[in-house]
Amino acid sequence: MRSPRTLVFVALAAVCGAAVVAIGTATVVDAQRSRHAADRAVKADAPLAAKILTSGKPYAVVRTLDKRQSSTYGRVAIAPLNGTTPGTPVLAGPTCGRVAVAAGRGLCLDSFGTTMGVEVLNAKLQQVHEIDLAGIPSRARISPDGRWGGVTAFVVGHAYAAPGTFSTATTLIDMDSGKAVANIEKDFKVYDGGRLVTAQDKNYWGLTFAKDDDTFYATLAANGRTWLIEGSIRARTAHTIHSNVECPSLSPDQTRIGFKKAVAHDPTRWRLTVLNLRTGKETPLAETRSVDDQVYWLDDRHLLYGEDGQTWIVDADGGGRPRVWLPNSDSATVEGARGAAVE
Amino acid sequence: MYAVQGSSTLLRAKRAMSSGKLREHVGGTVLLLGTCSLLTDVSSEMVSAILPLYLVATLGFSPLQYGVVDGIYQGASALVRLLAGYLGDRLGRHKLVASFGYGVSAVCKLGLALVGSFWTGLSALILLDRTGKGLRTAPRDAMISLSAPEQELGLAFGVHRAMDTAGAMIGPLIAFALLAAAPGSYHNLFLISFFVAVLGFGVITLLVREPKPRRERPAKAETPDLRAALALLRGARFRALTIAGAALGLATISDGFIYLTLKDRIDFSDELFPLLATGTAILFMLLAVPLGQVADRIGRGRVFVGGYLVLLADYLVLLLPGAGAATLILALALLGTYYAATDGVLMAMGSVQLPDELRGSGLALLGTATSITQLLASVVFGALWTVVGIQTAIGLMAALLIVALVLAVRGLRVAGRA
Repeated sequence: MRSPRTLVFVALAAVCGAAVVAIGTATVVDAQRSRHAADRAVKADAPLAAKILTSGKPYAVVRTLDKRQSSTYGRVAIAPLNGTTPGTPVLAGPTCGRVAVAAGRGLCLDSFGTTMGVEVLNAKLQQVHEIDLAGIPSRARISPDGRWGGVTAFVVGHAYAAPGTFSTATTLIDMDSGKAVANIEKDFKVYDGGRLVTAQDKNYWGLTFAKDDDTFYATLAANGRTWLIEGSIRARTAHTIHSNVECPSLSPDQTRIGFKKAVAHDPTRWRLTVLNLRTGKETPLAETRSVDDQVYWLDDRHLLYGEDGQTWIVDADGGGRPRVWLPNSDSATVEGARGAAVE
Repeated sequence: MYAVQGSSTLLRAKRAMSSGKLREHVGGTVLLLGTCSLLTDVSSEMVSAILPLYLVATLGFSPLQYGVVDGIYQGASALVRLLAGYLGDRLGRHKLVASFGYGVSAVCKLGLALVGSFWTGLSALILLDRTGKGLRTAPRDAMISLSAPEQELGLAFGVHRAMDTAGAMIGPLIAFALLAAAPGSYHNLFLISFFVAVLGFGVITLLVREPKPRRERPAKAETPDLRAALALLRGARFRALTIAGAALGLATISDGFIYLTLKDRIDFSDELFPLLATGTAILFMLLAVPLGQVADRIGRGRVFVGGYLVLLADYLVLLLPGAGAATLILALALLGTYYAATDGVLMAMGSVQLPDELRGSGLALLGTATSITQLLASVVFGALWTVVGIQTAIGLMAALLIVALVLAVRGLRVAGRA
């Protein structure tokens, strides 16, 4: 019975068991310690943050991604804006997988396993509502007047479900009540060239809102292709207006869409591009790396986006060169005056 | 909830193991292989449950990139499975080939912990991990079939599948519990998964013995070659069984689509969606052993056909008007029962049709024939859904299943002819 092989196995089992217990314990203890450290850091920054929040001047809201400060990784930070240049960011609140602000309101998407917490924040970045939706946080945007929120989650089945399939769920949030009021896939009729889109594998992602409190844009994907759709929240309808558009973002002057365009017949390589909604003309931007983000218009002439763990800025007219705007951050949006280009 | 059920089944299995009852019936090798599968599934399911979260939320992959990584395999899987089954026969060493498969998957878990966010590296590792899974399936099933007594094969495969499914349910629980306590601790999670996989690898390499051929092989018998493996399909009985399995596979709607149909019919919350697979797995786990035993008693063909009748009933439940919570529970229970009645039972039926020296190739052939036709059925069903709508699509699949059942019953009759 006690053959040498059995003894080797017993030794192996002891080593593996000890390793699992040790790693598990260390992970949990470490996480606790880092949570406390993060809370202390946020508390220490609170006076500075309060000053920026109540200054009445524009400020940027980002996720901090400083790997050297692992305890505060993913926390929301704010940075005062001087023209188009951000100042030093200070910690200002919760941990989010994605964050967005507009008109004195915020959205913070946090993930717990396969569930996503959608937190509606007030002007002080404190949580006022929370709902749970399925999926993993992907995109968040708030309408210019703060009335609507749009969140996209990446919904995955289980390993038992058909592999190779994925879906996204794009939900419209009423920012007053914090409730989910519509799911684009379920509650909207979407038309392509006058025909109702009925494809079984359709997905929507990346909402962006117009100033009129009704019009929105998003990506529709079906049958391996993508489109830009323009829709009406009131009428619960939308129609395709352009093809090969992902993660649209409407400019403050409402005339252009910044988006990522799949290139080289590869659905996972993109070129940041600006589409003129009136003329249909596309302008590729100076950023030549493949960027996977929903861009944000800092003003009518500059776009912000996350790449490589940093927030970058690039000109909207295709000229210039991309520059790092704020290191160790992503998910940037701006609270306060925005629109006319600031020199 | 299913943690409790999972562990109670384990406990029962363990008790049976220690009392020597189960061991007496199916042989120690089957229990050890079950343990190995259980550990390996805990390890791999704790990774695959959080992999989308890791790729999308942490590494910033887009859903499309995830789709590419996740679908990266599919067709190649079948080929690897066939090759591994044949290799086990050819070398006469199933344990070696299976161990290699388990080892590859274990190393991949360590790789995941080390490779970081390097996209090419990640996709290569995921591909390699699935190759490992493809490698081990057929030789492992061959070992089960060669070590359990012929009259208890249904039970043996049932025990193995129950333990395997238990592991697949425990894995995600561990992973989500760890991430809840320590968000973002993916690397340590991969390390834990690695050590669990090493333990599983240890079970097969150190404790499992290569089953000895029951019949002494004639001295001048040739080493099984590719021609002999292919000739298996010339044997009328095995061919009839393979055709029956393939025909039924063509009429099978995949779990994913059944869940989507349920979602379409009953407007339950998205958050419930991951639990559907759990519901199915619970029934699969609980019924695999008893149904395997019943199959051994009353005839494997009967239980197998019965399983597909249960699937047919499931389609009809999906078509019932006024779908509600009861529909949901019934549909999942039927799906789990269908798995328990067919998955291991088919392998048990195949085993008795195959000569010992071609067990690996034959079981791989049988498994691949069903899984490829099932994949095809998924594609067809997806297209039907889009073109004619969900109700008609299910109706058509139900009709196809009836035709396949008629064909299968005839095939099984041929296969069962002494």
